[in-house]
Amino acid sequence: MSTLSEAVGPAEPTDTPPRGLWRQGLTVFCENRLALVGLGLFVLLAGVSFLGPLVYQTDQVHTDLASVHLAPGEQGHLLGTDGVGYDQLGRLMLGGQTSIIVGLAAGVLATIVGTLLGAIAGFFGGWVDAAVMRVVDAMMSIPSLFLFMLLAAIVTPSAPMLILIIGAFAWLGPARLVRGEALTLRSREYVQAMRGMGGTGGRAVRRHIIPNAIGTVIVNATFQVADAILYVAYLSFLGLGIPPPAANWGGMLSDGLADTYSGHWWLLYPPGIAIILIVLAFNFIGDGLRDAFEVRLRRR
Amino acid sequence: MTSRFPGRALRGAVAAAATIALGAGLVGCGDNSGSSKDGGSQGKDTVTVAFRTPNWILPISAPGFTQGENAIFGQALYRSLYQYRLDGTAQYNIDPERSMAEPPQVSDDGRTLTITLKDNSWSDGTPITTRDIQFWYDLVTANKDKWASYRAGGFPDNVDEWSIKDEKTFSITTTEVYNTAWFVDNQLNRITPLPQHAWDKDSATADVSDLASSPEGAKKVFDFLIAASKDPKTYDSNELWQVTSGAWKLEKYVPNGEVTLAAEPNYSGTDKPKLSKVVLRPFTSDDAEFNVLRAGDIDYGYVPAANMSQTSYLESKGYTVSPWYGWSITYLQLNYNNPKSGVLFEQPYLRQSLQMLIDQPTISKVIWSDTAAPTCGPVPAKPGTNTDTAGCVYSFDPAKAKELLESHGWKVTPDGQTTCQSPGTGPNQCGEGIAAGTPLEFTVTSQTGFAATTKMFAEIKSQMAKLGIQLTIKEVPDSVAVTPTCEPTEASCSWDMSFFGSQGSWYYPAFASGERLFATDAPVNLGSYSNPEADKLIEATQFAGDESALTAYNDFLAKDLPVLWMPNPVYQVSAYRSGLQGVEPQDPMNLMYFQDWSWK
Repeated sequence: MSTLSEAVGPAEPTDTPPRGLWRQGLTVFCENRLALVGLGLFVLLAGVSFLGPLVYQTDQVHTDLASVHLAPGEQGHLLGTDGVGYDQLGRLMLGGQTSIIVGLAAGVLATIVGTLLGAIAGFFGGWVDAAVMRVVDAMMSIPSLFLFMLLAAIVTPSAPMLILIIGAFAWLGPARLVRGEALTLRSREYVQAMRGMGGTGGRAVRRHIIPNAIGTVIVNATFQVADAILYVAYLSFLGLGIPPPAANWGGMLSDGLADTYSGHWWLLYPPGIAIILIVLAFNFIGDGLRDAFEVRLRRR
Repeated sequence: MTSRFPGRALRGAVAAAATIALGAGLVGCGDNSGSSKDGGSQGKDTVTVAFRTPNWILPISAPGFTQGENAIFGQALYRSLYQYRLDGTAQYNIDPERSMAEPPQVSDDGRTLTITLKDNSWSDGTPITTRDIQFWYDLVTANKDKWASYRAGGFPDNVDEWSIKDEKTFSITTTEVYNTAWFVDNQLNRITPLPQHAWDKDSATADVSDLASSPEGAKKVFDFLIAASKDPKTYDSNELWQVTSGAWKLEKYVPNGEVTLAAEPNYSGTDKPKLSKVVLRPFTSDDAEFNVLRAGDIDYGYVPAANMSQTSYLESKGYTVSPWYGWSITYLQLNYNNPKSGVLFEQPYLRQSLQMLIDQPTISKVIWSDTAAPTCGPVPAKPGTNTDTAGCVYSFDPAKAKELLESHGWKVTPDGQTTCQSPGTGPNQCGEGIAAGTPLEFTVTSQTGFAATTKMFAEIKSQMAKLGIQLTIKEVPDSVAVTPTCEPTEASCSWDMSFFGSQGSWYYPAFASGERLFATDAPVNLGSYSNPEADKLIEATQFAGDESALTAYNDFLAKDLPVLWMPNPVYQVSAYRSGLQGVEPQDPMNLMYFQDWSWK
């Protein structure tokens, strides 16, 4: 659990950090080469996924059983075709869109919900804290993947549904982290002063607790996104992903594994490598952001 | 700062990396070889078979225990009165060599069948007589509500008189004059002689008596036997199961584990076992089974559909790969009772249009890797014979399907949403109960875990989208469980289409009549299809004296489309060591006769 604020002394009672701090943080982030590599990877993968189809146009709606399992380069298919004739490169782009959109949206949703509930629980304490944290403890005691699988089996998976399902269970981590921050921040003098002047609890949470925990929140959000992308991949790998003609990298990897023994390597490597790269990218970015928000590291 | 997230995410990335690395290794080793290519096992007298652990031993079926492995296991220990084969050479499809009785003699009025037992004995040397048949009859008639094969109006309700003539002869008089082929194939197939001299008691310590001859006593005996059968851990030690009539005896049984069958030295049938032992080995998944098969550690297994490309590799390792065709049909069930889509399915032209958008030959060839064949109607084609839709009423024809929709008042919007433009009941209108603007959109409830099924529905969805028919595919572990027979007012009736045919939707007994599938209110008529003409034709198959009734029934339903006919996959693609003889032909009715197997 972070003890960032205790290590550096009381934070300034300010709504927005001075511009210099952001610039300093950016400098530290840029000094982290892996973070820049991660950012570059993300931009590259997102660019290929979202802008690629404008350049490399393929039919990802209609199957073509006359063109299944074509090898890379055959009949103009740069990365070959899959088991129902979809162009594999076009499918990677389509799958990337789903994986990135669902991952980002679920990660952001989990972060927002977790941050709000964690801040409220930590700041108000008492029965509010007890109630929220018991819910968190109870839900954390169940392996989240099983819950996802159960829900995905009950409802028809779609991108919005996956975002909701993953977001509904992934907020537990951020809630715990932010609650810890809030427990520390609520006893700070500036918060006490604001309350003494008649400020409400809601204002304290909105204007002081959350803004001062923003570093932890943002860093955690990057890992949430990486986690969410992996969850989408897991669910699709288990056959509980979004049905065709939609695609995502996890589902493509699962399909590719069925072809493991057939020598159709182009169905296995590209989605697997894409998943590795996007998850690594977010992890590197998260590490860089952690350095940027960690004041002690700025002195190195 | 510490967080569980980066570690977990990184572990996930590592797992993904490991997955493709493993895949890389496997892709790379796809062509290696080097082990024995003879496929034989010289000197062996044992065979190891990939086989799910059976969990029922009593040769009277019970609800929840009707899985195929139980039937095979049961037949190895307790032979049915009649065995069947579908090669067209035998009267009533009765296998004369394996059956324990001669084919029935039918009286002039067609109501009485007289059956004479052959000379056979139990494993303890006691002769098998009509007393053992009577014992079985007493048990099932007194406990028919607990018997999985019972259907109201069927056996034994349709038996007017049951008469034992002597130790070797008994007769059955039916309530009506049934088609003998139907009665022999679909009713007499349930009779299994049971060892009255060993089982007619209500506890392990009681003496054997004639307890089952009274209905009350029969209930007690039945309960005792059922309880013993529900205790798998005692299968290889319980004295009850030591007295058998089959070619095999149970040597070792591990619940949820391996089962060993040993040749029964006192077996009285003519098809004596040639091997001394058969080891039935279960696997937790298709992948686990295939990995062991690939490593050459089992003598008989199966190739999952996703690994069909490995056929040549397995053959190079000394295996023979052979599809196991079933006496089955495969279809997409339509829910006529769905309050929204039911009115659409009621329109024959719409069913015809949907059927014409299913390219059965290409799906069978490309997606099922030639391990499926088109279904054209309710009566299966001879196993392994049909490869195209030449005999089908409706073959793949998107242009005709479009024309059919447009001629019935639908505005076809390719890759959009087709809607009803001309509501009404006229010949050029959408049909009764279909409002203007009604879209053609359906949800298919399909099965998880079958890659070929997923691809097949991707293809069908694509074809339908070209005519603006929107399909949503929902995969669930058990599609039958969530698409029950229902009334329009029930919440469970919201399903549109259901598919449960990844290994065939329905396996018939020897006589492929449709009284359980397509008759009004039939037990497996999940979609509540009802057509008085079909009912008449189905009933006729049970009473007509020749094959013409079956042909008429097939022709009518092939045209009327109570369901959408789909590619019919094989039961499994078997792979067995080339040195293993007697595996072929594989029984289309899903039994295995290990006594025919031997090593070269």
